[in-house]
Amino acid sequence: MSFVPGQPVTAVVERIEIQKLSQGPNLVLGFCIGGGIDQDPGQNPFSDDKADKGIYVTRVSPGGPADVAGLKIGDKIMQVNGWDMTVVTHDQARKKLTKKNEHVVRLLVTRKTLEEAVKQSMSRPGPS
Amino acid sequence: MFCRNQTARATVARGSALEMEIRRGKFRKSLFTDTSQDSDIQKKIDHEIRMRDGACKLLAACSQRDQALEAAKSLQTCSTRIMAYMSELQRMKEAQVMQNIPRRSSDVGPMDDRLPCKGKVAISDLRIPLMWKDTEYFKNKGELHRCAVFCLLHLGGEIFDTDMVIVDRTLTDICFDNPIIFSDAGPGFQLHVELYSCCFEEDYSTGSTPRKLASKLSSSLGRSAGKKLRAAMETGPGSPVSNGGASPLLLPVPSVQGPKYHLLAHTTLSLSHVQDSFRTHDLTISGNEECSYWLPLYGSMCCRLAAQPNCMTQRMMSGWLKVRQCGGDPQSWSKVFAVLQGTSLFCYHRQEDVETNIEPVFTIGINKETRIRASEKDPHSKAQNICISNQYGGEEVTHTLTTESREDTHRWMEAFWQHFYDMSQWRQCCDDVMKIELPSPRKPAPITPKQGSLYHEMVIESSDDLSSTVSDILAQRMQELELRSQLGTSPTWMSLFEENLPKSGAFTRQYSPRLSGLSPSSPRGRPRSPLSYQRCPQLGLLSSDASLTSDSDSHCSSPCSHRYGWPEPSSNLSLLSSSPSRLRPRTLSLDAKLSTLRGKGYGSTLQCPCQPPPSSLLAPLPMSSRPPRSPRGAQTTLSCSSSTSSNSSSNSEGNHSPESSEGVAFSRPSPVRRSLRNLRARLDPRNWLQSHV
Repeated sequence: MSFVPGQPVTAVVERIEIQKLSQGPNLVLGFCIGGGIDQDPGQNPFSDDKADKGIYVTRVSPGGPADVAGLKIGDKIMQVNGWDMTVVTHDQARKKLTKKNEHVVRLLVTRKTLEEAVKQSMSRPGPS
Repeated sequence: MFCRNQTARATVARGSALEMEIRRGKFRKSLFTDTSQDSDIQKKIDHEIRMRDGACKLLAACSQRDQALEAAKSLQTCSTRIMAYMSELQRMKEAQVMQNIPRRSSDVGPMDDRLPCKGKVAISDLRIPLMWKDTEYFKNKGELHRCAVFCLLHLGGEIFDTDMVIVDRTLTDICFDNPIIFSDAGPGFQLHVELYSCCFEEDYSTGSTPRKLASKLSSSLGRSAGKKLRAAMETGPGSPVSNGGASPLLLPVPSVQGPKYHLLAHTTLSLSHVQDSFRTHDLTISGNEECSYWLPLYGSMCCRLAAQPNCMTQRMMSGWLKVRQCGGDPQSWSKVFAVLQGTSLFCYHRQEDVETNIEPVFTIGINKETRIRASEKDPHSKAQNICISNQYGGEEVTHTLTTESREDTHRWMEAFWQHFYDMSQWRQCCDDVMKIELPSPRKPAPITPKQGSLYHEMVIESSDDLSSTVSDILAQRMQELELRSQLGTSPTWMSLFEENLPKSGAFTRQYSPRLSGLSPSSPRGRPRSPLSYQRCPQLGLLSSDASLTSDSDSHCSSPCSHRYGWPEPSSNLSLLSSSPSRLRPRTLSLDAKLSTLRGKGYGSTLQCPCQPPPSSLLAPLPMSSRPPRSPRGAQTTLSCSSSTSSNSSSNSEGNHSPESSEGVAFSRPSPVRRSLRNLRARLDPRNWLQSHV
C-alpha cells in the first residue's frame, strides 16, 4: 500500500460510520490514530509498506463508538466524511476527525483482510 | 588465464597439463567436446554469470536500501545457480569420461532398469513462525530491528527464490505465499529449502563512513547500537570473499559492497513429506543470537508440498483395444479407444472423443489393488489376452482386453508394468491427483516507482485492467441479484436479512439503496434498486476515477449478521456485535447497550468461525482458513497493547495506559498539560505521533 505520486489509488475499502459520544464538553470517537506525512513512517507497526505515510488506527477503546462501529486496530483510514486522509499531516487528520459540530464521522478504511476476502470471493465460482 | 574454446565450448586452463597433453595429441579433444546437454548447461551458466554481473553493477550503483537488498538477493540466487550448474557440468563431464574408458562387462549395471516417470513438485504457502521474547515484542522505543529475508528452493537442477520480505518484531510469521513449481522431478527428489537473511539498518550508511569515524562512533554509541553499526559495517568492503571451492574452473566471485545475505535456516524435503494439505517440518537453524542477521525462529516451517507425477496427469498409453467383461457373453467384444492415465483406463468409442471431453463409455480402474496378467493363448485370436481384475466392494470384476497383434499386447503390458512401477515409486501421490495452482504474477516491489497501483494489488489472474475486471465481476453479480430479486427468489444470503426487513423500512432514508451498481458515470447506467435490507459493512472499491460500491457481507457472515437489530433513531448507535440473540429490544439506552456489549467481550468477535453462504460476494474470515498459527496468537491484540504502553509519553492528546482502560478511556488531560506535551512531542522528530480522537 504505497503511495506513488501521480498514480491513482485503488483499494478495497469498508465504510464505517461512527457516532461520536458526548463526554462532557468533548465529543469522543474512542480510537487513536497514528501516521501522517509529517511523521516517520518506519515506526508504524501496522503498515505493510514502511514508506506508507497514511493514517492508521493504532488503538481502539473497547466498547467505544469506534469499536462498536467495527473499526479495527491496524486499519488505514482513507477518507473521513469525504476528506482524503492519505496525504495529510497528523494534525490535519486529527482535526478532520474531531470537528465540534459533527456528530457522525463516516470513514472509509482499508485493511489487508478485505482484499483477501474479495480475492477469495472472486476466485470462487459465481452463484449457481 | 582461462582460454575458452569457442567451437567446442570446453574451458581448458591455458598452460595446464591437460592442454599440453592435448597439444601433444595424446588425448583427442573430442573427448572433451560437449554433448548437447553440456552446451545447454553452459548457456545457462553464461546467462547466470551475466545476471550476476548485472546484479553486482546494480548493487554498486543503487542508493536505496531496498533496491540494494533486492540486488543482493539476485546476486545470491545467481551465485547459487552458477555453483549448481557448475557442479552439474562437472558431474556430466566425469560421467562422460568414465563412459569412454573401456570397462569390464561386470562393471556395467543392468541395462533394462526401469526408470520411474518424472513429475511436477510444487511448494506453496510457506510460513515460518517467529518466536519473539515478550520484552522484544512489547517494546516500542528505539529503532525497530529489521531483517530482510527470502527463501531459496533447490531441487535437482532448478533453483528458485521467493520474494523478499522485511521482518521486524511486529511480525509473527514470515510468509511466502507464491507457489513455486519444479517440473521434471523424480520420485527420489530432494528439495532443499534455505532461508537467508540480512539485517536491514537504514540509519547507517555503510559505504561512506570512514573506518576511523565508524569505530569512534561505535564506541560512543550505546552498546547495542554500536554492535549493530559494526555489523552493518561488516557488509562493507571488509567482507571475506567466499569462493565455495566448488570447481577449479570457476571464475572468481566478485567481491561487492553492500548487504550480504547469510544462511539462517535450512531443511530438506522429499517424497515422504508430500501431502495434499499443510504440514509442519523442522528447520535446522544456523547462526546464533550474536549475529546481526539473527531472527528468533520457532524452529519449524509450514508449507504445502504437492506432487503431480506425470503418470497421473499425462496419457501414458493409448490405442485401440477390444474389451470384454468376464461373466458376460464370450463373444461380446467391444472395440474401444483406450487411454491409460492416472488411476484408470478410459475407454471411448472414437478417438476424437478423448479431445472433446465426452464421457468415456466405461472406465476400468488401474490402481495398486489391480491385478493384471496375460492369459493363455486364446485359440480364437492371434495374440494373448490381458486380464485386468479389480475388487469392487466384495466382488471381483475382470475385464479382458485383446489387441490386434502380439507387439501391441506386448506394448500394453509394458505400459501397465511401467505404470505400476511409477505408482510404487510415487506412492501417496498416485492416490489422487493433487491440485497445483499456477503461481500468480509476482507482486511488484512496493517502492518501485514504475508500478501503477498504490496499495496492495489485488491479483486477479489473466487480468491487466484491475478495476474494470473487478467492476465487471461485481456488476455481473449485481445484475444477477437484481434479476433474482425481480423474480422473487433471493440469493441464499438474502435470508440473512429477511428477519430484519420489516423493521428496516423506516431506516432506508439514512443509507443509499443497497445495490448501487456502478457509479453514475459508467456507461451501463444501472438503475438503483431500492432494496431495503439491513446495512452491513459495505465492501467497496475505491478508485480515483470511478467510485464503485457494491454491498456484500464482510467478515462475519451468516449467523453473525443477525446482530443488526436497529435501535431507535434516538440512540443513534449502529451495533456490530455478534450476539446470538436476534430479538434485540429496540429501545435500550446507550449506556445499557455499551455495558451489554462490553460484557459479551469483544475478543470473540474477531474469530467467528462462520460458514460462508455458497454464492456471490460473501467471503469468509481469512483467519479460519489459515494453517496453524504461531503460538503468539492474534497479532492485533498484542500490537494494540504495545503501542499504548510505550507511546504514552508521545501522545499528543490523551494519556492511556492499559490498566486505566474502561473508565478513563475517554478522558483527556487538562489543556495546559496537553499543549506542553503537544509541543514537545511534535518537535521531536523521532516520534511517531498518536492522537486520541
